[in-house]
Amino acid sequence: MISVRSLTKYYGDYAAVRNVSFDVPGGTVVGFLGPNGAGKSTTMRILAGYLTATSGQATIDGLDVFWEPVEVRRRIGYMPENCPLYPEMRVKEYLQFRAGLKGLHGGEARKRVAYVIERCWLNEVPRQLIGTLSKGYRQRVGLADTLIADPPVLILDEPTAGLDPAQIRETRTLIRDLGKEHTILLSTHILSEVEKLKCDQVIIINRGEVAAAGSMEELAQRSGRKSLEDVFMRIVEREEAVVV
Amino acid sequence: MLAAINVGEILAIGALGLLAIVALAVSAFLVAGLFQARSLIRREFSAYFLSPIAYVVLVVFLAVTGRLFYLALEQLTTDGPYGIEYPMRSMLGDERFWLVFLFIPPLLTMRLFAEERSTGTLEMLMTAPLRDWQVVLSKYLACFAFYVVLWLPTLIYLPVLQSSHPPIMHADAWTANSILMVAGLALVVLGLLLLLPALNTNARALNLILLAAGIACTAVGGRLHYHRDAVHLLEIPVGLDPMPVLSSYLGLALAGAMFLAVGILVSSLVRSQMVAALLSLVISLVFILAAFWRPNMDTGSSTYQVLYFFSVPLHFSEDFSRGLVDTRHLALYASVAVFCLFLTVRSLESRRWR
Repeated sequence: MISVRSLTKYYGDYAAVRNVSFDVPGGTVVGFLGPNGAGKSTTMRILAGYLTATSGQATIDGLDVFWEPVEVRRRIGYMPENCPLYPEMRVKEYLQFRAGLKGLHGGEARKRVAYVIERCWLNEVPRQLIGTLSKGYRQRVGLADTLIADPPVLILDEPTAGLDPAQIRETRTLIRDLGKEHTILLSTHILSEVEKLKCDQVIIINRGEVAAAGSMEELAQRSGRKSLEDVFMRIVEREEAVVV
Repeated sequence: MLAAINVGEILAIGALGLLAIVALAVSAFLVAGLFQARSLIRREFSAYFLSPIAYVVLVVFLAVTGRLFYLALEQLTTDGPYGIEYPMRSMLGDERFWLVFLFIPPLLTMRLFAEERSTGTLEMLMTAPLRDWQVVLSKYLACFAFYVVLWLPTLIYLPVLQSSHPPIMHADAWTANSILMVAGLALVVLGLLLLLPALNTNARALNLILLAAGIACTAVGGRLHYHRDAVHLLEIPVGLDPMPVLSSYLGLALAGAMFLAVGILVSSLVRSQMVAALLSLVISLVFILAAFWRPNMDTGSSTYQVLYFFSVPLHFSEDFSRGLVDTRHLALYASVAVFCLFLTVRSLESRRWR
């Protein structure tokens, strides 16, 4: 579904992403793991079409992200870090606005908005101003927005950032549920997330390069360590690449 | 007969025809794209009414124009040898008006891109399946629609001026032209009413076509009725020449379009709303201050000729408020507006390459 080949992104002289290649097969949940500043957000922004890569190629559902950006964006549900929303709009209003942007209008839009409100547990707050919602609810609105056009691919940048444990658990359940119908690429720097979300594949990125890729068992086996945390710390501290 | 038409004329007509076809094709393309982004236009327009700035601007603006209207009315109704030949000039050629008007486009446009950048919602907009020009033009259209709403209450000044001479309706004036005009008006009203409920795409497209057809029928029918029929449906005995009013509104629409375009360009370049407002104020100042810089300037000098070209208040006090539509001024407004919008689209695009 998502295919990235030798993706490189330079901000001036600084290489945020360097020769990153990975694949996300359809129907899987892939966790993008890495310390802050590793290049996770940059890669996701390139995939979502917000930035263009300096070199390399990225395709989603066979369409090149650079040559067919609008078509690619129709197939993606993207939620950036900090989930930016318009605080002066109401939840339902906002979702209808986003549905309109993604090409859904009229009765179809109303049906999808009702569905995502139901799915993301926003039933109590459809008429509430977004500015008055708690972080957990705002994150849910962001997730609802990604689902509204029923895209095959969901790209979520730190979906559980800043949430309290109860909210994290709820979001995790939702993502696990969604993982059965959509292809999900999510990024996080919380290791337990990746384990609890039962990601099919884990890609560890450090300093702009892919340091490790594979399922959790594979990584543990190859590196001879037991837990993902050990693998991660080893990569980050000693900068050993454990490529699978 | 053929000898009377020379090659030059044929070429000129041909070129104009070609230009018209190209312009039509471009506008059809833009309209189709903006129709796709109608959700964004609606949200941007309603966002104005969700913030206090809009209401402050509306109140201050109407207070100032109301006061100027009162002064103009006083001059029109005064006894004795005083009076005024061009009442619109006392409203629109006045420094007081322009110094207030200077602030309005920056205040209306400052939030358009600067706020989105600082809150991060621009990322959401740029990762939606919309092209950059659709985003820019949608915001611009919503902004311009608000600007029109700003000026709508001034329409009430016209009936106020008619109060001593009420309009007369002639029941026997029903001809093909007048029926066409009234039918067109009915279609326009129907089209506007249908804008309110939520419709699906096909119905909405039909709705907009209905509106356009209504406007066309009203325009054609109205013009034919006015010029060709002996008795008019509605006779408005005007003590006031309506043409300067019409030309003033036309000038204001396009001058506003220019200032708003400058504002949206500046907003897309900076991150802070305050800086955007101040910067577009300074740039608009170039167009406005020139008129008031030296009021005793020699109007025959070449400096004055140059300043006259781009000082907007002079356009209004000399030309638009006297009923004179100078296409040089309209060309200035249109070209600056188009150029600024073009640069805004480019600036948005460049964000992807950072």
